[in-house]
Amino acid sequence: MIAVKNLFKKYGTNEVLKNINIEFHKGKVYGIVGENGTGKTTLFRCIADLEDYEGKISSNPNPIKNHLGLLLTEPFFFQKITGKEYIQLLCNARNIKIPDIEDRNIFDLPLSQYASTYSTGMKKKLALTAILLQGNDYFILDEPFNGVDIQSNIIITEIIHKLKVLDKIVIISSHIFSTLSDTCDEIHLLSSGHFIKSVQKANFHVLETEMKQMTIGNKIEKLGLT
Amino acid sequence: MASIRDNQNLRTTKQDEKVKKYFELQYKMTNRKFKDAGFNPLLAYLMLTTLFVGLSIYLFHKTDFAGYIYLLFALTLIGNLSETRRTAFLKICFSDKKLKKIRVSENLICSLPFLIFLLYKQLFLSALLLFVLATILALLNFRTTLNFTIWTPFSKRPFEFTTGFRNTFYIFFASYTLTAIAISVNNFNLGVFAMLLVFATTLSYYSKPENEYYVWTHNLKPNAFLLGKIKIALLFSSSIAFPIAITLAIFNPQNIGILSLFFLVGWAFLIGIIVSKYAAYPNAMNITQGILLALCVWFPPTLIVLIPYLFKKSENRLSSLLK
Repeated sequence: MIAVKNLFKKYGTNEVLKNINIEFHKGKVYGIVGENGTGKTTLFRCIADLEDYEGKISSNPNPIKNHLGLLLTEPFFFQKITGKEYIQLLCNARNIKIPDIEDRNIFDLPLSQYASTYSTGMKKKLALTAILLQGNDYFILDEPFNGVDIQSNIIITEIIHKLKVLDKIVIISSHIFSTLSDTCDEIHLLSSGHFIKSVQKANFHVLETEMKQMTIGNKIEKLGLT
Repeated sequence: MASIRDNQNLRTTKQDEKVKKYFELQYKMTNRKFKDAGFNPLLAYLMLTTLFVGLSIYLFHKTDFAGYIYLLFALTLIGNLSETRRTAFLKICFSDKKLKKIRVSENLICSLPFLIFLLYKQLFLSALLLFVLATILALLNFRTTLNFTIWTPFSKRPFEFTTGFRNTFYIFFASYTLTAIAISVNNFNLGVFAMLLVFATTLSYYSKPENEYYVWTHNLKPNAFLLGKIKIALLFSSSIAFPIAITLAIFNPQNIGILSLFFLVGWAFLIGIIVSKYAAYPNAMNITQGILLALCVWFPPTLIVLIPYLFKKSENRLSSLLK
């Protein structure tokens, strides 16, 4: 379990996260949605212990960072490091030995080529493969479906289902509602640094309708398209 | 016709203005770096000039190969300006003509201190060679992507030596060639230089801080993380430098003692640069650390004090990312 209690995060005077309280349980998939700049990535960075914060984040097993697979929105790759070496690097970091990395290459990536030459989608698939092979208990996937082709999106969805079966905790952010409704057990709506709504799977369609109304409003009419 | 010429003139003036602005921006950025490191820019320029002149005098006093080291060092420095993403960005901003002007100017500005000192030393051929190579380097259009992967013996333990070897493998070939020459002309000093060149090259692998993700992802305490980095650095650098040391030892058995000492100094600098890097992490090494390392070049025993101090500092800096 991961428990976030009274979490606050400020950058100077700018309060990005305001009193966040949430629990993540084993075998469940959580969606975090919100407009750009509402604090999703900051929340993920706090959970990953990449940021200092006020409040408490606890987990079992602990420390969270040693059991967490973090997929960043834009993974960073060194120049002149191959896909295989990238996976090797991340597995070495967790002291995991994978003798047959090529056999685990389910996205058919060109592992002998430099990762920096990969397309956006390929980079994301490589980063995802690496954190999956690390054997983590928790996964934070920041926009895992962005820039990825349809076929791979189907595979990623199935991977998330499998992680749920394996009793892992998965937290996802996505700007494509259907990807969340296909994978999540709960969706939490983040707005201006705090959760304003939490919805269970049965009510996802209600949330989607509400979000559409809230987001679109009369904005399209304002364009005055003729 | 006149209007076309006017338009061309206007475009040229605008481009000249852009070039001027570019160099003004570079100047501002450099000053900002000094200020961020806690130095008055004027003072920093003065200190760097003094340091450069001091080290140059020391180098030329100590070895007959200073001219070559100078050339190599200057070209390595200039080579950093040819970084592919940087060049690609400049290509977007400037026309081909202006880009060439900027790149040649940049390379010559960077090689200017070296050129002046070479001229002062009356090494006119080396100065001419540096001038020509710096200009050519700016005009050459390197391919941004290679469609083949350079083999590396360090693939199993990424990343420093994996990427570093791919960037600098030719220097190792040069070192081995120099060793062969050293043996054939019976010049032990040249052989030692070749061995130190290997260590100096591997030092450069640790000069820049990596993205925090690659530290954070380790399931290690800061102490174990640092020791792991040091172990790999010593093991891999030795595997490249060892053939040179062995060859020199076989042909100069009377100098095994001094050879071992240089090998140890190479190791000590490697440890020194690793702890310096993480003592400033996640920031880049600052000028203070640069000066301390330069002091160690002048008087290597300083490392005995500096390494434990920087190791402790590194542990503190890493403690927020490694738990």
